[in-house]
Amino acid sequence: MNEQPQSEVSYRDSVGIVSLRGEVDIVQAHELRERLVSAIRNEDLGLVVDLTGATYIDSVGVSLLFELAERLTERQLRLAVVVPEGGLVTRVLRIVNLKSVAPVHESVNNAVDSIHD
Amino acid sequence: MKSRVVADRLRDLESITDAALAYLPIETLLDELLTRVIEILDVDTAAILLLEDDETTLVARAAKGLEEEVERGVRIPVGRGFAGRIAATRHPVRILDLADADVVNPILREKGLHSLLGVPLLVEGAVVGVLHVGTLRERAFDDEDEDLLQRAGDRAALAIFSRMTEHERGLADALQRSLLPRLPELPAVALAGRYLPARSARLGGDWFDAFSLPDGRLALAIGDVVGRGFHAAAIMGQMRSGLRAYALDGMSPAMVLERLSNLLRQIEPGRTATLLYLVLDAHGGVLTVASAGHPPPLVAPAESEPSYLELAGSVPLGAARYPHYDNVDVEFEPGSAIVLYTDGLVERRGEPLETGLDRLAATVAEGYEQLEHLGDALVDVLLPDGPGTDDAALLMARALPLADPLIACFPAEIESIPVMRRLLARWLVEAGATREDVDDLSLASAEAAANAVEHAYGLEPGVVELRARSEKSGTVTLSIRDFGNWRSPRGMHRGRGLLLMEGLTDVVEVVRTDEGTTIELSRQLGAEAA
Repeated sequence: MNEQPQSEVSYRDSVGIVSLRGEVDIVQAHELRERLVSAIRNEDLGLVVDLTGATYIDSVGVSLLFELAERLTERQLRLAVVVPEGGLVTRVLRIVNLKSVAPVHESVNNAVDSIHD
Repeated sequence: MKSRVVADRLRDLESITDAALAYLPIETLLDELLTRVIEILDVDTAAILLLEDDETTLVARAAKGLEEEVERGVRIPVGRGFAGRIAATRHPVRILDLADADVVNPILREKGLHSLLGVPLLVEGAVVGVLHVGTLRERAFDDEDEDLLQRAGDRAALAIFSRMTEHERGLADALQRSLLPRLPELPAVALAGRYLPARSARLGGDWFDAFSLPDGRLALAIGDVVGRGFHAAAIMGQMRSGLRAYALDGMSPAMVLERLSNLLRQIEPGRTATLLYLVLDAHGGVLTVASAGHPPPLVAPAESEPSYLELAGSVPLGAARYPHYDNVDVEFEPGSAIVLYTDGLVERRGEPLETGLDRLAATVAEGYEQLEHLGDALVDVLLPDGPGTDDAALLMARALPLADPLIACFPAEIESIPVMRRLLARWLVEAGATREDVDDLSLASAEAAANAVEHAYGLEPGVVELRARSEKSGTVTLSIRDFGNWRSPRGMHRGRGLLLMEGLTDVVEVVRTDEGTTIELSRQLGAEAA
């Protein structure tokens, strides 16, 4: 029932993993930006944003991902995004061509591996 | 012979509470009353103690021959000592010899009082204070003395009370009104509420609230803080703020109740309150309920008889150190209604609670299409003689069936976007949309609304209008309109907004005129995504 954004941060092999659940949208963007940015550690290789549990993403949420990719690139870090096939979030990320700035994977493992490559 | 004198003196007493002294300050009025009581009963001292708002303490407000009682601000716990026992038992107490008696107030002994007689001050059966008299020599107060003092007490109670309520009523009205919410106006849910102050016009602890959550669902609450007066009203205000704070943080109803219970224990240990808190997802057709010892809500489903929600027993807020509350999900389809109430609405003295509950259910069963009418009917049926000695609150909500075409207006604020999305999602389901249609069109129209919110009005308040209609062919057309002056979208994400609208619908049209901007989106339902 609870549709407020929830996020969990974990780290694996020098990669930060932020899992976002619920709605990644204009209402929540500001708070989510803080959470995403604060999850980045300088010693890491990159960050994985796991959208497996996200039910909704709008253009503000999408822009957050683009912005994040840009900021990470500036620091020579890499971003990878996890979205399972099918569903609104996948359709949205395809329309905006997120792949042009960050690889999109179907599992967290693949995403973490892609950052190590 | 004696009763003639008594009758005369009683008349004497009555005269002072009448018109001639009606404009005296309350202290002067009480002084006059006590002077007469001393004369009539031929005693040495007389004092009036009034019950504080917290209903646990008596405070000396006027005294003759015992002036120190007032000067020292004597406070007597209800239930203890001479005056405390009178207030607790609501019965007169006679003491022949103070030396043998349990007395809290040291002044009585310091003054060398020997015998005492005290009566409760009652208004509509509720204790509001104590009137007592004393003698320096031993005196066995008899039934006639007691009767006379009680009659004087009754007059005094009424006089004091009307005077206090006159003063309190103005403040009470202002406070109560400020604590009652302005009910939100929503396209998918009708709301109506009633608050009925107790007949004594003192502040009560009943309250209700209704507000939109950030995700577009509706929060409904009704509660009853134990106690009366400004103190209870102040606690109620804090409960209301606490509830909104926790609810806006996204906590589930049960979690909100657990936090509020801790908050209440922090604010005032020993104080308890009942509360029913619900979150209504009108578009998803689900109601989530949690109760802290509050009477169960009445749910009237669209297609069947109203019934009381069966909730497991629960403790009031503040009653337990680590309370646990449960969330219960209830189906709530369009056309359904829910009625929340406090016990002041259904309880009548000398009648089982079930009778009031049955009456409430029967009244709702007669019809609830118009909630304002239902509110009037419930008050008429349940409180035919007006409010009782307890205050009463009532909050009603009904999920509205959606029209085609649908027209709904929202404040041009970011917070409106999820509300609009959920409304549209429900309308689309009724129009035969698939899950994918619903997701895509909700997002596309949210992007259109975000444009209007961000670009149409600047910092001025404004309105966004949503229209939705479906054609026989299975095409739906959504138009999102504002009435402001657009400035060009700035920044990349607005560019992406348009990209998304185009990617998720078949046709996007943007029409700008001097009156505002309309974005029209259409799509064939049930087709594969473009």
